[in-house]
Amino acid sequence: MSKISKVPRFLEEAAKAMAGTSRVESRDMLAMQVLALIPQGAAVFCAEQTEMEKIIAPLLQNRVADYRKATVTVEQASGAIAETGSIVCTSEAAKSLQASLLPSHHIAVVASDMIFTDLDAFFASWSSEPPTHITLITGPSRTADIELNLVVGVHGPEKLDIVLF
Amino acid sequence: MSSQTSLDFRKNAAAALKDGSLRAAMQNATGAISRKRGDAMTQVDFEALREQASTIRMKVLDNLQMYVDRFSDNARKTGAVVHHASDASEARGIISDILKSRKVKLVAKSKSMISEEIQLNERLKEEGLEVIETDLGEYIIQLAGESPSHILAPAIHKSRQQVGKLFTEKLCCDYTEDPQTLTKIARKVLREKFIRADAGISGANFALSESGSIVILTNEGNGRMVTSLPPLHVAVLSIEKMLPSIRDLSPFLRLLPRSATGQVLSSYVSIITGTRKGGETTGAQELHIVLLDGGRSEIVKGAYREILKCIRCSACMNVCPVYRTIGGHAYGWTYPGPMGIILTNLLTGLENAHPLADASTLCGACNEVCPVKIPLMDLILKLRVDKISAGLAPAAMTWGMRLFGAAAASPTLFSSSKRLAHTFWPLIRWMGGKDVAGRLPEPSVSPLRRRLK
Repeated sequence: MSKISKVPRFLEEAAKAMAGTSRVESRDMLAMQVLALIPQGAAVFCAEQTEMEKIIAPLLQNRVADYRKATVTVEQASGAIAETGSIVCTSEAAKSLQASLLPSHHIAVVASDMIFTDLDAFFASWSSEPPTHITLITGPSRTADIELNLVVGVHGPEKLDIVLF
Repeated sequence: MSSQTSLDFRKNAAAALKDGSLRAAMQNATGAISRKRGDAMTQVDFEALREQASTIRMKVLDNLQMYVDRFSDNARKTGAVVHHASDASEARGIISDILKSRKVKLVAKSKSMISEEIQLNERLKEEGLEVIETDLGEYIIQLAGESPSHILAPAIHKSRQQVGKLFTEKLCCDYTEDPQTLTKIARKVLREKFIRADAGISGANFALSESGSIVILTNEGNGRMVTSLPPLHVAVLSIEKMLPSIRDLSPFLRLLPRSATGQVLSSYVSIITGTRKGGETTGAQELHIVLLDGGRSEIVKGAYREILKCIRCSACMNVCPVYRTIGGHAYGWTYPGPMGIILTNLLTGLENAHPLADASTLCGACNEVCPVKIPLMDLILKLRVDKISAGLAPAAMTWGMRLFGAAAASPTLFSSSKRLAHTFWPLIRWMGGKDVAGRLPEPSVSPLRRRLK
């Protein structure tokens, strides 16, 4: 599968898993798109670790330093998997995985050249010494424990937005 | 989990059959999950995938001890403390000692069938610890003081009205039967527990030998919470959960969520390797991995070894006509349905579980859906043979079959016994009672065999 077909497959699968998806053509538009997804006045956590996070962070209106106090987290995911529509978050480079778990709205930006075709390609990329946490996130937190009724937003985020650039 | 009641299977099943709301809930839920499973499997080459998965699982079982040793060594290198427990009581003791020595008061738990198997919660409660189940279904049945009726959807037998009443009673909230509102109430109550918990206890879906990692799939996010928020994480799993390496995960991630809920992938797949390392801000400070043998190293040597390929997807119970009718509690122990019939007999002994061998129509639906190709129906049939060899079959059945065998071997005896059956039919009906003989057709005066002459 070429890079061209990876992107639409990823977007399609992520949408099926109930993630919000969008794709921007330029880096300037990326920041605009992320800002447009944040509800008015929401407390936002952004670790400002990656290049993209450094571009977005200064533009955030109500930025908080502690993710426990945030309702939105904006972060750059380290990769994505087209086959399953998953984004990949890891504990590498001092990344905090709780930031994508505790706030109810998770906005993840992903570089389109970091999309793996499938699970096999993704797992083949790891050495025998992986970081402490590798988490594949596919859509928002969900349950069907009461009469099989799908309810979104149990312990993790009830909203996952993915912005590809 | 209360004490085992598998020997009372017939009584349990009869009671379940009289519970109309239970039967309706089970039929709806298992039917819906099975349909979703069927739809999801059309996206992949199921036969090729299950062959691949089965081969990997057999490779592990052929060298189980080697994979367990390798896992233990590698997990230790990443900062985990690995414990080996030969049985349930030892596992309970190890976990209880870890928690007590660290003065833990509140434990947040994500779903673990092994912890049900070893009755961990009861032990920790005796020790004065507060243990909170955080999977919504598990939380519901914990509030209700029950045990899971399904390995993936533990509260599948409860209606929304029952959950609503339970929440009003135990959590003092206003009555609602809206699943969305009920879920949000649980989110709020449990969020506070996650933050306050001194320790998290989880199970694991898989363990990776090469890197010493454990793999946990959840939809709710509670698995991520208990393994990353508290400073101490205790994972309890049985030894057969091994996979060689991270590169073997793909077929299982393709099969398990599809088989279980019809999802392409669960919302969260967490691959956890050891404790928080220098420069990291995620991960428990202390990780203990308790590996339970609990009879598995014996089972792996015997004729039932293929049951250890099981990845606990629950597809076999969702398609089983017996499970779908009576639900999980009637089986009387941790694991219900076809895989449960076999595991319960192997793990607790034929003498404590043999009536379960009859809890199957041998229709073979379980064989068809099993994602790791366990010949479930064949193993159940084998259990029946073992049960009879062990003298555990009811005397009436043993003698009845012997008489039938003798009669069927001789044409004269066979036709005269049929004539006798016709003559004595009123007596047979009277003795058998309407529940048994009432369902049989009356023997014909001129049987088919004679008419064909």
